[in-house]
Amino acid sequence: MEGTKKGVGARLPRKEDRRFLRGQGEYIANIRLPEMLDVAFVRSPMAHGRIRSIGKPPGFDASVFIAADLAGVEPIRAVSGLKGFKISEQPVLATGKVRLVGELVAMCVAATRAQAEDIADKVELDLEELPAVVDMIAARTQPPALVHEEWGDNVYLESLVDDDLQAIKRDAAVTVRRTIRTARQHISPMEGRGVVCEWNRRLEQLVMYSATQMPHINRAGLSECLGIDQGSIRVISPDVGGGFGYKGILLPEEICLAWLCRKLGRPVRWIEDRREQLSANANCREHHYDITAYADAKGRLLGIECEATVDSGAYSSYPFSACLEAAQVSSILPGPYKMERYRCRTWSVATNKAPILPYRGVARTGVCFALELVIDAIARELKMEPHAVRLANLVQPGEMPYLNITKKHFDSGDYPEAVRRAAKMIDVAGVRARQKRGEPDGRRIGLGFAIFCEQAAHGTSVYFGWGIPMVPGHEQCSARLSPDGVLELRIGAHSHGQGLETTMAQVAHSILGIDPENVRLVHGDTGLTPYSTGTWGSRCMVMSGGAVATACEQIAGRVKAIAAKLFEVSAIDLVLERGEVRVAGTDRRMTLSEIAHVWYRKPQLLPADVDPAGLETTAGYKAKVDTGTFSYACHAATVAVDTETGHVEILDYVIVEDGGTLVNPMIVDGQVFGGTAQGIGTALYEEMPFDEQGQPLATTLADYLLPGPTEVPSIRIDHIETPSPYTFFGQKGIGEGGAIAPPAAIANAVNDALAPLGVEITESPLMPRRIAEAVMRKRA
Amino acid sequence: MKAVAFDYARPRDVAEAVRLLAEGGDRAKCMAGAQSLGPMLNLRLVQPELIVDLRHIEELRATEDSADAVTFGACVTHSEIEDGRVPDPTRGLMREIATNIAYRAVRNRGTIGGSLAHADPAADWPSVLNLLGATVIAAGLGGRKNFPIGKFLTGLFETALQPGEILVGICVPKLPARARCGYWKFCRKTGEFPQAIGGALDDPERGAARAVIGATRGAPYVIGDARALINSPDEARLLAAADAAGLEGDSYSRKLHAVALRRAIERLAA
Amino acid sequence: MTRISLLVNGKPVKAEVEPRTHLADFLRERLSLTGTNLGCEHGVCGACTLEIDGAPARSCITWAVACDGASVRTIEDFDDDPVMAELREAFTAEHALQCGYCTPGMLVTARDIIMRLPDADEARIRKELSGNLCRCTGYMGIVRAIRCVLDERKAHAR
Repeated sequence: MEGTKKGVGARLPRKEDRRFLRGQGEYIANIRLPEMLDVAFVRSPMAHGRIRSIGKPPGFDASVFIAADLAGVEPIRAVSGLKGFKISEQPVLATGKVRLVGELVAMCVAATRAQAEDIADKVELDLEELPAVVDMIAARTQPPALVHEEWGDNVYLESLVDDDLQAIKRDAAVTVRRTIRTARQHISPMEGRGVVCEWNRRLEQLVMYSATQMPHINRAGLSECLGIDQGSIRVISPDVGGGFGYKGILLPEEICLAWLCRKLGRPVRWIEDRREQLSANANCREHHYDITAYADAKGRLLGIECEATVDSGAYSSYPFSACLEAAQVSSILPGPYKMERYRCRTWSVATNKAPILPYRGVARTGVCFALELVIDAIARELKMEPHAVRLANLVQPGEMPYLNITKKHFDSGDYPEAVRRAAKMIDVAGVRARQKRGEPDGRRIGLGFAIFCEQAAHGTSVYFGWGIPMVPGHEQCSARLSPDGVLELRIGAHSHGQGLETTMAQVAHSILGIDPENVRLVHGDTGLTPYSTGTWGSRCMVMSGGAVATACEQIAGRVKAIAAKLFEVSAIDLVLERGEVRVAGTDRRMTLSEIAHVWYRKPQLLPADVDPAGLETTAGYKAKVDTGTFSYACHAATVAVDTETGHVEILDYVIVEDGGTLVNPMIVDGQVFGGTAQGIGTALYEEMPFDEQGQPLATTLADYLLPGPTEVPSIRIDHIETPSPYTFFGQKGIGEGGAIAPPAAIANAVNDALAPLGVEITESPLMPRRIAEAVMRKRA
Repeated sequence: MKAVAFDYARPRDVAEAVRLLAEGGDRAKCMAGAQSLGPMLNLRLVQPELIVDLRHIEELRATEDSADAVTFGACVTHSEIEDGRVPDPTRGLMREIATNIAYRAVRNRGTIGGSLAHADPAADWPSVLNLLGATVIAAGLGGRKNFPIGKFLTGLFETALQPGEILVGICVPKLPARARCGYWKFCRKTGEFPQAIGGALDDPERGAARAVIGATRGAPYVIGDARALINSPDEARLLAAADAAGLEGDSYSRKLHAVALRRAIERLAA
Repeated sequence: MTRISLLVNGKPVKAEVEPRTHLADFLRERLSLTGTNLGCEHGVCGACTLEIDGAPARSCITWAVACDGASVRTIEDFDDDPVMAELREAFTAEHALQCGYCTPGMLVTARDIIMRLPDADEARIRKELSGNLCRCTGYMGIVRAIRCVLDERKAHAR
């Protein structure tokens, strides 16, 4: 294998930068087809209502479409096989009822988006308002209305991991019980969603361009809803301006536009604007925990019990469904800790809000917040340093691989070392001394930790039990060495910022010795790539990376077989390096392009028994275990809290991260920094509040605050590299980690600062108002 | 998010602008930097039939530096003030205020006159100009009028401008050598609109001691005689001022404005 | 419809536009200059930042008709700009972009910082960059890249 200058382990600058830095990216809104028309949607202004009538403006019958017009189009049904799961039917255009502000009611089409909006403004909507289901606890216990009347309640799914905690309740020296809430948020990539659809006459195929993380899954969903075979559909995801989970969904807008382009015989386009995004699609992170932890006098966890609720919105999104996050809570709440007993009941609840999507970190951000706040509460009661309580409870490196209390198989790692290093980097003693000295400006200093481990790239046996429309199993890569020696790789996953065009080329370099500049990645197109469930859950480096490596190994074998004949040596005497095949111990060499030239242009020179599949292959990959990899990180933060205004400044932020073997450490750092910035948004700035009628209240970026460069500090990061025993290079999925720990680390730091005042915040985001009001209440 | 259709006019001088606006009545809106109007148009929060573009009227871009005041044309941009490309009658205060308005790209287009005419309580110029005792010059079909700033800003997005009138200039008296000013605002993040604004002015030469509470639900609240407050900004006085500014309903908001005012007083500097 | 005449990337352009067309849509839809991206259309995110008459401005809340007689430069016009070349190199070296959507606006603002504030320290860089949001990078690489270019230019000036 080649060294680390351009292969696995290299901080290789990205190939895709070239076009982005010159404004040559091809995002969905840049795609323009001849005769294309623009679509604007009429969206429900009401969170819950019965549709009495929808009035098309006179003269615009051919430009306005409602549910009744879309004959034969099926509603979106994301099922789950989990026992008791209730299926929701989401009509692509509202039928009978509207169930969230922003639900699609009518589709208007015109030459420009502005004109389509003019038409939409003229559509008359007559709705009978129904009580809105807004609070997830009330939705279950005292519902003001039923989101889906046929259900009899507002619960998609209830789950229970049961255990007997009698004994530990008795023996516990410390019992800590907290009610913890995390606000609804909006994933907010810089680019919204967008769809362009056309009908290709030659191929008799619907071609849909969509900014999606999972084109093959969108294709499957479109097929189900439109009632046409998948071969009649091609989904192409172009350059995507950020995803983070927001673009892992089958959209009603996609189905509507697919129907419309057939109806009109012309390409059609819809580009989501920011107001649509914010008002109709705030769709993540809203959890409620009633959590109790039992510990002994040394801070060792005896057990945890919890009742958790996830606000899952009005419909199950396809493919993840409304079961994902709530059921995930119970299996991951114990985090990286050991304990004797564990009991957790969860509810996934329906409300009149947007369908939940798995935002970077998924349920891990919420459970980390809940558990890590409780760990710190235990530390305060026992007057122990919070990092010491963690050290007393983490799974030890000598115990790896470790099967935890919810049967999660932790593959490898040194969790305590991450905490020790973070404690050193943040300088606990220094912060404690500073706290004693006090600040000249009167602000209060605090220190907080959070540690988590993150399961990624898990496979069939884990997902099949969920019964959702998408089970990730194997991953394939098609590889072809072209006649001029360029390697083409085709994978079904897709980039939305993580630089797969570069990292997959690095993998190829490590196996084949080919210069990454001579590797071309084709992805995002169902017409050109093998099936994949797509890019989500931090799976690409393990799964697509493994498939690329496997395919390259096969190409390497084919190349060596041909070279062996040409050099008249044995294949084992050949070395692949620097884009060449060399006879070991000699200077006899040929370039990959010369070998390719022989295959394509001079077959008379090939060995008689040459593999007729030639320099082209499709290889499959599956990790050694289905339970995935576990990366982990410890975050620590020092904050200054202005108790008068409630403002929090992050003075120092450190991360000790272990993602196993890092294919491109520069890209890994970028993922961690970016995730951490989002986590800081979750911790301090981002909230989508709803009023009692279910109206979203932060519908522009002036109200929904995204952290900018003065809100995100300079972050210090250190790495541990414990390879996974189960993946091709030992790499682990790390894309989400940064977004998991910050709310917990920052809340713990704020609570540490406010502890002398007897104030503890258990709700995120830690907005200035929330902090200042808590301080004012204590003082009163 | 596309605006409704509107017509566009680019008057060459104030007289033409006034005539167009008077004819248009409430179907017409004038536009300077469009940094506030632009979002409102895209969001369809306003749906005018005619936009009258004032940016190209030379008179409105000019600044006049006289012995005891500087008169800014309404279309002088925040970045011109920030960069010192126009005179600063306040020995640096206006430059510093301008530097902290929104973001550079906004400051390059946004104008001081536009900010005042829009009268967003959370903008900086309404509060600062109240503190400085500025005078607003308006032009209408009947000619020109002067307004003391306190009479010009009348409420939430409300000014004394009548239909058909435009703001043409802002006259800011030069700060005497011994005058001290303090300004403090609380923003949840850099560049966004503040949640609370406090300002204080101590001008012994002219015997003026003024304070202002901004980012309220209406026009900036001015304390004309703030001598006692400036001398001893105790909590009771500060909260009373916040109450008088209309903030008594919300204890956090009240506290925040009181804190902003106190911190402005603490920052009184020459 | 209104006739406008302006310079776009150094070339004279004449067109008839609806007054309600903002500059970004005019450039993207009529002139196929799609490098300028739309992130919010209410002037907050900065993705649409380009140069009008030599100064960064938000093209989503600037009307094409208001630019009659103006000179507009989009990201596409900076291919041969030496300062932008330094920035592009630094952005790649410091991993200052991931999805690339905010990048054109970010580069225009970054170049303005370098030209206007050659002595900016990190705090000032972050403050001046506040009008450009990024959801991917956490700003680390972007700030480092700008610092690198500022430091190199200072070193060369000596």
